[in-house]
Amino acid sequence: MERYDVIVVGAGPAGLSAAIETAKCGMRTVVFDENAKPGGQLFKQIHKFFGSKENKARIRGYRIGEELLAEAERSGVKVVLNATVMGLYAQKEITVRIGDAIKHYKADNVLIATGAAESVVRFPGWTMPGVIGAGAAQTMMNLHHIRPGKRILMLGSGNVGLVVSYQLLQAGCEVVALVDAAPRIGGYGVHAAKVSRCGVPFYLSHTIVQAEGTDHVTGVVIGEVGPDWKVIKGTEQHFDVDTICLAVGLSPMSQLLKQAGCAMKDTKGGYVPECDAYGRTSMDGIYVAGDVSGIEEASSAMLGGSIAGITIACDSGYLADGSEQIAKYEKALGNLRKGMFAPENRGKKITQTEEGIAISETLLECGYVADSEIERYPGVTHMEGVHPVIECTQNIPCNPCQDVCPKKCITIGNNITALPVVDSKSQCIGCGMCVAACSGQAIFLIQEDIGDGMGTVTIPYEFLPLPEKGQIGIALGRDGQPVCKAEVLDIKSSNAFDHTNLLTMKVPRDMVMRARFFKS
Amino acid sequence: MICVNDIEKEIGVFVPMEDDDVLVCRCEEVTKGEIRRAVHAGMTTIEEMRRFLRCGMGLCQGQTCGKLVKGIVAAELKINPLELEPAVSRAPMRPVEMKVMGKDGGQGGDAV
Repeated sequence: MERYDVIVVGAGPAGLSAAIETAKCGMRTVVFDENAKPGGQLFKQIHKFFGSKENKARIRGYRIGEELLAEAERSGVKVVLNATVMGLYAQKEITVRIGDAIKHYKADNVLIATGAAESVVRFPGWTMPGVIGAGAAQTMMNLHHIRPGKRILMLGSGNVGLVVSYQLLQAGCEVVALVDAAPRIGGYGVHAAKVSRCGVPFYLSHTIVQAEGTDHVTGVVIGEVGPDWKVIKGTEQHFDVDTICLAVGLSPMSQLLKQAGCAMKDTKGGYVPECDAYGRTSMDGIYVAGDVSGIEEASSAMLGGSIAGITIACDSGYLADGSEQIAKYEKALGNLRKGMFAPENRGKKITQTEEGIAISETLLECGYVADSEIERYPGVTHMEGVHPVIECTQNIPCNPCQDVCPKKCITIGNNITALPVVDSKSQCIGCGMCVAACSGQAIFLIQEDIGDGMGTVTIPYEFLPLPEKGQIGIALGRDGQPVCKAEVLDIKSSNAFDHTNLLTMKVPRDMVMRARFFKS
Repeated sequence: MICVNDIEKEIGVFVPMEDDDVLVCRCEEVTKGEIRRAVHAGMTTIEEMRRFLRCGMGLCQGQTCGKLVKGIVAAELKINPLELEPAVSRAPMRPVEMKVMGKDGGQGGDAV
């Protein structure tokens, strides 16, 4: 039987990050993953990540995956794919199915980083072809380049539902509605806003009554839910769709830990192992990292993995003192867990920003900031010449806009969750770096007066084919409704923008604060 | 724990619901109505439910329906789902053909 110093189960962001640390300390490390490709969910993530430089903000998820894999290889981590871990037994012996064989391995340390699986909800017709998980839709689109459907209804307004809805639009699908039983949008407002301005209507306090069709989905009925979470009779409405996407949460895949005998606890976030801040479970030598120990997102999974990896190396005597490294990762992790969407704020209704500015109710209930609300945020200013307008209205831990501005026009400060402030004295040169760097696509360049009663709006644009210069189309408002005619003046693409194109459109002066999307 | 003989005293008799025929465990084709009836027949834990109806025992091993079954059983018992004892977790973690299991080389198995 082959022995290792460390066996990692799961080659996602947490598992790979941990393996890199243990391998760097000279521990013989192997990672088993049941999938044909490593990286967990990272290679499906085509959007830019939030955060700061330290946690790879404004880099697209799949790039982070590529970097992580390359680093694992450099560090001497062995990754075995199509290898399903079947059981975890006494003395840290595991059985792994590889091809048509079951193999046994032992290690001094086992780290479980199996991640999570998508949850479902049931309604009449939910087992028909055409009802799919949002993660499945992402796999089809972003890994296999297959469009999951033509007309789609999304259930779930958390970040997964919002991000995948946007990606469905990018793939050329029509998203007919974004539905959530909760009365308020669960994910980041900026993610909701970018879906909203493309014209997708939000139905909060609504749920699916039934999927229609005989052998596949041909339609869906939704209805408004009352305070008892039951559908109010008479509120039902029908949509023609061929696909229903479910983004209703994730469940940790913690079965291996339970089977091994680790102390477990049942929580609202799923069935998870008892563990300390460093990933140690109740069993000596068994560690956890990532979503299996509680659902967060990829950036925190990577940091948690690194912390667990260093802890394993320290506990095993391969590293004399890891406290400095751990402190560095803990600081970054602490930063990610700040702000309105921090774990301790889950389920709470927050009405004011840290700055004391009222949160946009329209954003929470309809998916966009109303024209009457937008002026109260510190990133929204008026000045002569071209300047950024930052429609960032919630405290989330993210600051690339501050880093990329060559003229230092944008300030967030040391508190990473603070709303960006546009300095009225600095000279914007209109380079557009901030527009492309904003992971929430919430920054626009505005020139309020270019003469003849016209102004320009530059928007981040991630759709293909790109419109032509000179093309006339319709400018859509934050709510996705047409506001005026628009002419494309310029389309800028650059390696520095990383696939975010900057579309500049000419609109009447009084529309520069309303026009936020271009439809050809 | 509720005594099986007293169960209907505690939770009342079985009342049919509109959506009783909706599938919950798609792997083993178990409906909501079957799960609710099983509670009234005295199956008050997920473990018993699995043995009795096989819900959560199929291809996905309850990864899809586990939460749903828990919710339905808890609602029928009028308790919080967190109060239910979670199901036991056993190897193999994924369904595996007997011909593969049979070839398990044991501790002397070959290395990769």
